Amino acid sequence: MDFPQNMSMEEAFALAEAEAKLKQALTESKARFENAVIPNRLNEDWRFGRPHKHAVALAELLQSDTPSQGEATVQHAGEAAVPVTAEDDDLRQTEMLMPTIGSDALLGMHLKRFGDGYALYIEEDTKEPILLTYKTDTLYTPSTFIMVAPGVKAHVIEQHYGCEKGTIFATRNIQVAEGAELKVELQPYGCARCMSITNIQNMGGKVVHYTHHFACDWAREETVAEIYTPGADNQLFSANKLDLDQVLDQHTRQIHHVGGATSNLLYKNVVDDNATGIFAGNIYVAPGAHNTDAYQSNRNMLLSEKATIHSLPGLEILADKVRCSHGSASAPMDEEQLFYLLSRGIPRDEALALVSHGFLQDVVDKFERS
Amino acid sequence: MSLIIRNLSARVKDGAQILNGINLEIPKGEVHAIMGPNGSGKSTLSKVLCGHPDYEVIEGTAELDGQDLFAMSVDERSRAGLFLAFQYPVEVPGVTNANFMRAALQARLPKGEELDAVSFYKTMRSKMTALGMDTKFTARAVNEGFSGGEKKRNDVLQMMMLEPSYAILDETDSGLDVDALRIVSDGVNAMRAPFRSFLVITHYKRLLDYIKPDVVHVLYKGRIVRTAGYEMVEHIEQNGFDFLKSEE
Ligand SMILES: Nc1ncnc2c1ncn2[C@@H]1O[C@H](COP(=O)(O)OP(=O)(O)OP(=O)(O)O)[C@@H](O)[C@H]1O
Ligand SMILES: [Mg+2]
Repeated sequence: MDFPQNMSMEEAFALAEAEAKLKQALTESKARFENAVIPNRLNEDWRFGRPHKHAVALAELLQSDTPSQGEATVQHAGEAAVPVTAEDDDLRQTEMLMPTIGSDALLGMHLKRFGDGYALYIEEDTKEPILLTYKTDTLYTPSTFIMVAPGVKAHVIEQHYGCEKGTIFATRNIQVAEGAELKVELQPYGCARCMSITNIQNMGGKVVHYTHHFACDWAREETVAEIYTPGADNQLFSANKLDLDQVLDQHTRQIHHVGGATSNLLYKNVVDDNATGIFAGNIYVAPGAHNTDAYQSNRNMLLSEKATIHSLPGLEILADKVRCSHGSASAPMDEEQLFYLLSRGIPRDEALALVSHGFLQDVVDKFERS
Repeated sequence: MSLIIRNLSARVKDGAQILNGINLEIPKGEVHAIMGPNGSGKSTLSKVLCGHPDYEVIEGTAELDGQDLFAMSVDERSRAGLFLAFQYPVEVPGVTNANFMRAALQARLPKGEELDAVSFYKTMRSKMTALGMDTKFTARAVNEGFSGGEKKRNDVLQMMMLEPSYAILDETDSGLDVDALRIVSDGVNAMRAPFRSFLVITHYKRLLDYIKPDVVHVLYKGRIVRTAGYEMVEHIEQNGFDFLKSEE
């Protein structure tokens, strides 16, 4: 190992230690990919996600000769955007080390196809949102990396277009430095299959994350939002309207490695027809992460008898002086709200549309105000 | 032309009977008041007239300008000219006041006709100003996070926008501060017209001092037990409802 000149002994030791740690993490990560099995029903994190159908099909596609093929565009990024290449070892390592929620095997397959997507190194406030789009009608496996420098305010919108028959499987690594603020949206449209694994590493800034799925047959979303520095604030939002036979399988972890920080989650779905919404969330407060504020709320509106909801909120708190709450509610449309609109002469169909749209708009309003 | 209620009995669905044969006629142009002890059925009567799904009409009829009210759906009753300012207005998250009112007014236009957005906002803002409401409330979700008094004002605003021919005000005065009470009453008085009637439900004389009723009814145990003039308001204010006990 080469040490830079003028480095003190302590610094040299720290650097050596960090390198050793990274090496070990990479070795462990390699092992986790080698040992990982394609998700099945026994996998707790895939219990309601119909893995025999969706995970298996995705795995087969990823292991097939089908090339990953899509179109990536970026707008309003200025100098910040750099295309991801297979040669970029740092980015590859970041993806290798990212946590999943039951999908190590799939992430391993994603890594084998590594080398597409964009890295955004954001060092100046964005004047208008950076718009990142990934589009395919076959298979596309892009990787997104967003790094926001200290004190910088940024807004990024990532859109996935599946053209009705395409599969998009994206990873997203987000790092926000101290005092930085990032608003980041994920909007998949019209994918036959859509999977995203997101890791947020908050080093003392504010992250406001919002996802909105539209007309995707099957979507799986894993979001691990980690806090490493006191004062950090993670806000996670999602709002989706599901109908026909759509399945949306959402998994979240709000991880507080240190105390004195905040995380908040509000996920809402309106579920109609034969659609299925799955939410499994967990708040983890590490030992010693005192004075943590962490909230989690999943609300679902059921519009049909055949619509299905599985909502599994969870808490694991290993510290003191922690303010945490989690809640989940799934119910048909509120009769009093509907009646209020009808009583003002708004026809039933329109009243239904207004109330169910409003149920989700509420999340958008909160996202915009955050 | 009037609102005519005949022998109306209603119960909570699969539950207790609340209204026990109500007879009431409110001709156009008149203001009637209903007073009565807590739990006597005042709010139930107003909600039954609007078609609230919690209740079931057991017997009786209600006519609005000759039309059978109970044959109409909730939204049709509103478009036919009936309005209820609720005792407890509901919060509707994610639906702005402006979109709510636009949808309600649009529903009153003939098919194919589009509500004029510019004049709509102009009207809405001027009525809000008249009611002492901040015009920022147009962009806020209906009643969400509103104070008690703000919710009541918002319901009165809706009445002013929809210009119903029969308006029921269910304890609109409760929760209003003294200034708001005057402002809201002025608004109601300004709407009094030969082609419009009001049914004002209240516990307090102070509202009826502003909005002078032509007729005062006393509702007790789901029945109209007295119909009188303004002097009844004074009587109740001074003596309470003790006189009703002798009815039992
Ligand atoms: N949906 C309901 N379910 C059960 N009970 C009900 C329901 N609606 C009304 N009631 C009962 O019917 C009775 C009359 O209620 P209502 O709200 O009509 O009284 P009110 O005269 O408006 O009283 P207040 O002056 O307190 O507003 C009460 O005993 C009430 O508990
Ligand atoms: Mg009442």
